[in-house]
Amino acid sequence: MKKTIKSIIRHLILSVLAIVWLIPIIWLFCTSFSAYPGINISKFFPEKWTLQNYRLLLFDTDTVAQFPNWFMNTLMIAVFTCIISSMFVLMVSYAISCMRFKMRKPFMNIAILLNLFPGFLAMIAVYFILKSLNMTNTRIGLILVYSGSSGLGYLVAKGFFDTISKSLREAASIEGASQLQIFTKIVLPISKPIIVYTVISAFLVPWMDFIFARIILNSGISSEQTVAIGLYRMLDKTLINSYFARFCAGGVIVSIPISVLFMFMQKFYVEGITGGSVKG
Amino acid sequence: MKKRKVLAIVMVVMMFAGLTACGKNTTTNSTATPTPTVAAATDTATATPEPTKEAEATATQAPAALETVELTMWGAEEDQTMLAEMVEAFKIAYADKANFVINLGVESESTAKDTVLTDIEAAADVFAFADDQLNELVNAGALQAVQIDTDAIIAANGGSEAGSVKAATSDGTLYAYPMTADNGYFMFYNKEYFTADDVMSLDKMMEVAANAGKQITMQFDSGWYLYSFFQGAGLSLQLQTDGTNLCDWNSATNAIKGVDVAQAMLDIAANPGFVSLGDAAFVTGVQDGSIIAGVNGTWNANVAAESWGDNYAATKLPTYTVAGQQVQMSSFAGYKLVGVNAYSDNVGWAMYLAEWITNYDNQVKRFETRGLGPSNVEAGASASVQASPAIAALAQQSLYATVQRVGGNYWSPTETFGAIMAAGNTDGTDLQTLLDNMVAGITAPVQ
Repeated sequence: MKKTIKSIIRHLILSVLAIVWLIPIIWLFCTSFSAYPGINISKFFPEKWTLQNYRLLLFDTDTVAQFPNWFMNTLMIAVFTCIISSMFVLMVSYAISCMRFKMRKPFMNIAILLNLFPGFLAMIAVYFILKSLNMTNTRIGLILVYSGSSGLGYLVAKGFFDTISKSLREAASIEGASQLQIFTKIVLPISKPIIVYTVISAFLVPWMDFIFARIILNSGISSEQTVAIGLYRMLDKTLINSYFARFCAGGVIVSIPISVLFMFMQKFYVEGITGGSVKG
Repeated sequence: MKKRKVLAIVMVVMMFAGLTACGKNTTTNSTATPTPTVAAATDTATATPEPTKEAEATATQAPAALETVELTMWGAEEDQTMLAEMVEAFKIAYADKANFVINLGVESESTAKDTVLTDIEAAADVFAFADDQLNELVNAGALQAVQIDTDAIIAANGGSEAGSVKAATSDGTLYAYPMTADNGYFMFYNKEYFTADDVMSLDKMMEVAANAGKQITMQFDSGWYLYSFFQGAGLSLQLQTDGTNLCDWNSATNAIKGVDVAQAMLDIAANPGFVSLGDAAFVTGVQDGSIIAGVNGTWNANVAAESWGDNYAATKLPTYTVAGQQVQMSSFAGYKLVGVNAYSDNVGWAMYLAEWITNYDNQVKRFETRGLGPSNVEAGASASVQASPAIAALAQQSLYATVQRVGGNYWSPTETFGAIMAAGNTDGTDLQTLLDNMVAGITAPVQ
């Protein structure tokens, strides 16, 4: 009896939290189907439903909304950043976790210290360095900014690599494997969960970033912008009355690649955890 | 050992290969990267008369010998199509003087200052901005003083005493080209409920609204609107040269005391016919019919016109009751200006372009395509402009409006104060104390 009451209370708290968390998302989703283009806060659900906002956003671009361009820009930046910074993170983690060298301890300390500073502190410096290289307003500039210091975020992956039995690597090196072979053939295949984690988090950084993109892409050419900036501009007081529903539609579409990436990666995530590494 | 080094090199090469591979795709697309122009800063002062000379020199030559002028211009997103047309007309008008490559970029007038000041060299040669940003842009050296046709521009906008010219002037020098005179606020109302006499007085309006079970609105928790009450009552707010504000809104010696204004605001807030709403709530209220009048700006004129149809009307702000008298509410007059970047490579041509997009024809065009009120006196006097209720209301209100010149410390204390007034001062704090706190915040030194 006591158990049931406790369980009810627990579920009650959880459902309240779930509602608080879900309401904005549901509202965004519903508003994206609203036939009224502006903002209407008097009703939770739109009066008339339509797919018009998505059609306008994807196929009928104007000077304000160039969503397909923004989407491709962001996707490109995110994909390259994801590849580069995942490589960085995994390689740095492997080196720190599995190899022994003189600077290992000092390097770890320095890296953690550096990582404690918010990246935005260096924003203006980064901007002027890029400008001197003529790389502001380019996608490659943003990719460099996002992936540049990613190696410093090695802690979680290193923690995972630390749990892989040393005997595995020793066995491989007795068989004559080089460090690269050990890394790619032994360690990586049994580290799928952490690879998935690294890839997803590396993808999310450029996908969701606003501040760096805002400062580096300053030419004002709408088609060169990223989704975050483009959508934000729709909220200008002179535009909001005609673009708010499209803004919501954009918000919904933006979440698709992340969901796909996660669904696709989730399989490996589970496999990696349950597969087991050391046999026998 | 050797193997390892080779490996390291291979890895590095691979990584760069990855980068360059995508570099090829991206760099070809980005044509608009502004080239750094450090030298431009020093020779801007002398560069101005150049185009005319050059133009005269090249006018006699074959078209192939014309210089190519590259300019970048920033304007609001919704103006892009119209700006592109204006630019095409500009190219044709000056086709015998130079070849133009004009890149259009998007930058909202309300955020132009921030983007320009982040890196002036990388900013557009010509950009539109709201007039309250003028001082900071001038102080940062971002704006080139108008040096071509200055007198004609001033005359076209109503002379040196006109609001739009004052808004573009700093220390006696004209720094920008007035583009629109519609960035202020006024009273929207629904003719179904109000007569033209009703809207002369806020008390009457609230009474009518309360009787109809509806409400009228004005945003109290915003320094922009709050200014109406205090300025209207004869209290003063001034910007000093060091960026701080001079403010006597807590005055106990003025004919109408600060506490009187605060009390008047409390009375208004307590009236059942009144509610303080922000922009989004105003729009929603107008649409669902609960709001039948409100103080707002031209950007919401379409919403009101669509919702109220033939009953849509607009006028100057009403009078309100303070210390037993009827006082006309004041307002900030807002203008949109076009500035020329002092660091531009082609300051002279940039000035011609700025002048072009703000001339009479293009102000008329701007009104016809986007409904923006002209600052040009002649354009503003035309029948079609006068027929627009919102623009006409702004013209009426302009008699009581002042150019917005306030330091950055003005906004948040007034917002707090306005919010307390809107909520009805539920703590019962002494009004003089509240005013003193607000004024202390407004007049606080910068940083």
